[in-house]
Amino acid sequence: MRKSLVRTGAAALALAMSVTALAACGPGGGEESGEPTEITMLVLGDKPTNGRLEAMLEKLNVRLEEEANAHLDLFYVEWADWQTQYNVQLLSGDDNVDLITTATDWLFAWENAEKGAFLPLSEEMLQENAPKTWDQVDAAGDWDLTKLDDGQIYFIPEDNFTQWTNHGFFYRGDWATEAGFEDGTITKFEDFTTYFEWVKENQPDAYPWDIAGPNDAALTGYLQGHTDGQTIQQVSAGIYFPFQTTESDPYTVSSWYMEGDELLEAAELAKEWNDIGVWREDALNYDGDTREEFFAGLSGADQHHTQTFVGSIVDNMTKKQPGSDPKFFYWGQENGNYFRDILTHGAMAVSANSANPEKALEVYDVLRNDEEAYKLLNFGIEGTDYVMTDDGKLGYPEGYDSSTDALGSNFWGGRMDEFEPDRVTDAPNKQEIYDELDASAKDYEYSTLVVNKDLIDPTLAAMGGVLSEYIPQLQYGKFDDPAAAIDEMRQKLNDAGYEDARAAIQTDMDAWAEERGLE
Amino acid sequence: MATQANVARQVRGGRYEPLPARSRKSLLRRIGDNRTLLLMCLPAIVFFLVFSYAPMPGVWIAFTNFNYRDGIFGSPFVGLRNFEFLIQSGQLWLLTKNTILYNVAFIVLGNILQIALAIMLNEIRSKYFKKISQAAMFLPYFISVVLVGVIAFNLLNYDTGVVNALIEQSGGDPLKIYSMAGLWPIIIILFWLWQSTGYGSIVYFAAIMGIDNSLFEAAAIDGASAWQRIRYIILPSLKPTFIILLLFSLGGIMSGNFGLFWNLVGNNAALFQTTDIIETSVYRMIISQNNFTSSTAVGLYQSLFGFALVMTCNYVVRKINEDYALF
Repeated sequence: MRKSLVRTGAAALALAMSVTALAACGPGGGEESGEPTEITMLVLGDKPTNGRLEAMLEKLNVRLEEEANAHLDLFYVEWADWQTQYNVQLLSGDDNVDLITTATDWLFAWENAEKGAFLPLSEEMLQENAPKTWDQVDAAGDWDLTKLDDGQIYFIPEDNFTQWTNHGFFYRGDWATEAGFEDGTITKFEDFTTYFEWVKENQPDAYPWDIAGPNDAALTGYLQGHTDGQTIQQVSAGIYFPFQTTESDPYTVSSWYMEGDELLEAAELAKEWNDIGVWREDALNYDGDTREEFFAGLSGADQHHTQTFVGSIVDNMTKKQPGSDPKFFYWGQENGNYFRDILTHGAMAVSANSANPEKALEVYDVLRNDEEAYKLLNFGIEGTDYVMTDDGKLGYPEGYDSSTDALGSNFWGGRMDEFEPDRVTDAPNKQEIYDELDASAKDYEYSTLVVNKDLIDPTLAAMGGVLSEYIPQLQYGKFDDPAAAIDEMRQKLNDAGYEDARAAIQTDMDAWAEERGLE
Repeated sequence: MATQANVARQVRGGRYEPLPARSRKSLLRRIGDNRTLLLMCLPAIVFFLVFSYAPMPGVWIAFTNFNYRDGIFGSPFVGLRNFEFLIQSGQLWLLTKNTILYNVAFIVLGNILQIALAIMLNEIRSKYFKKISQAAMFLPYFISVVLVGVIAFNLLNYDTGVVNALIEQSGGDPLKIYSMAGLWPIIIILFWLWQSTGYGSIVYFAAIMGIDNSLFEAAAIDGASAWQRIRYIILPSLKPTFIILLLFSLGGIMSGNFGLFWNLVGNNAALFQTTDIIETSVYRMIISQNNFTSSTAVGLYQSLFGFALVMTCNYVVRKINEDYALF
């Protein structure tokens, strides 16, 4: 009796375990009509934990229910290793995400559209579910910026929002003045050697430029200022963009990683900086928050784009490092080789796996065009998250600290100039900076170029593998003999099929140029 | 097990039934006879079906130019093209070499140390000291490799690392350890030994405990020294355990300790030459290059190579002594 009881028990347990294992693979539940539809939007950023986001969403969802009978939730791809996390999330085929923040120049929109992560959006579908958005983008003639060679629209551009996202160094004017720069202003990329040396000698607690993880900022900064190379944003290999044209020969595809001496010059400068100790010796294995180090006075420089500078760096540095006189040196400042923002620096796509693509577009249309919803999503709740000052600027309530109280909704795929007031945290000289940039910026000419990558995808993957091995080491000056390392890298890129890939892109470039009568 | 059950039944039935008896009984009957055993195996069977057999057709990706929209079987077939670059660039050879050499070092050094440790534990007479030292050696096994990676960085980094602080305090020049590829095989092996020796020695310690006490008594009467006891009783008794463990580890010689390698080295390309193993490389290919095809190709190569290796080892062992073979 007892034995059989034990046996039955064991059998039941075994059965229960296998049923649980199987149940984990089952499909999720469906939903009823009439109930508000849950729409999830993927955004980039660290998920805020201060409760403000939830409070805002609660109010926003009341509005969304009225306007579109839907609720919105946000899904965060956090900043740690975001390039890879983003692509993996999209390619995993997760059907819990409906709207996806994307961009052609920094979020691999073309790559992901081609790999099938985005739902192709028909004109009828857009006209029916996002009519206001359709009209505005159509009137501006911007839909062509979002099509692959199948002629389908894959995302909605954030084409009605002015910003500057050209990269450069943020540095401290007070330290630069002491380092001997007139007015504390550095105007040449190489001059940062002098600045970094001064920081190294005179600010023992600070790294001259604390930077971490694999990136190519030091190389790109040099290359942009010393060549007339223009990066083709449609083609990436891993996390790198290896194909360029030049201003002097704008329809010939080449690569600054493969040709010319400038990469070597950049690598030698990086090596000099590494020898000085500009960054942590183990920058490749370090993963701390270097921007906070800059705010804390523990780093002499930081690297990002104009918008970050005018929107956050100036305000934070003025408060946290009084008298630091933050300044911005942008890549290509020496030779005017930098670009106006492209209209797809922010964009919104619908996931190919969305269960409710029409509803997702409806929600997007409200978020982008309904002033009440827009303000809630972007600024939060008036009075607690922001206040409007008497002169019509967006300010913050008393005691508000942007590093802990930020809303963090990060809606970067459909902001609108008409709903964006000036902010009290904007750099006082914001307009001056914009005007200066505007004076000699170039327009990205190839926005409508479509590159067919079907045949060169394995080549690009192989090139990405090679680049991910060499570029970080060149960037941090880790090779004893950069010239030999570059030769080796070029040889390996050739072996990986660089020339085939280049030729394939050239073919598409030729067809594109011919269609437009360009020569 | 099924055979044993059948044999038992035959004996109880009191009549001789020549083998193979299995083929004479219907499959259904045999399932019926062994239903409880099978039910108990069910969780394991389901586990392997879901996680090992069901994903197998996915290796097809290795032969395609994979894109997400067309899916695994709809993407264009490209034959062996994905393998070409891996072979041509020498990457496959480097990964194979690193993976195997690390595993050989782990197996050889690991087993020697584990046996030595087990014997030393056995010789300790103080009960409390024995328990405490055993626990202390066991502990590193439970430390997550993520923490091991952090500990390593704090010991070894150039700017604030403990090792370099000691070198500087004693007047030397700090070492750029995270750029010295030649040093890392030693570092990785040391961390691995530190983590796994205590745990591994338990198996050998248990085997020593299982040795028939009369052997030791006889040895004591014959006046054997401690050393002779170890040499002529303990070591020979550990041989079957050693061989079984060796076989198990040979089967895994193509797989690596991903967590340890990834957390110690990460994305530091300066160290890949000596530290990149198949699993870290596959992970990087998928995660930072979204390269599904090449990573599947490498994974398939790893599986086939590992499979061949296990079969060969088992075959050789069976030839030498059938009792030691795994199957």
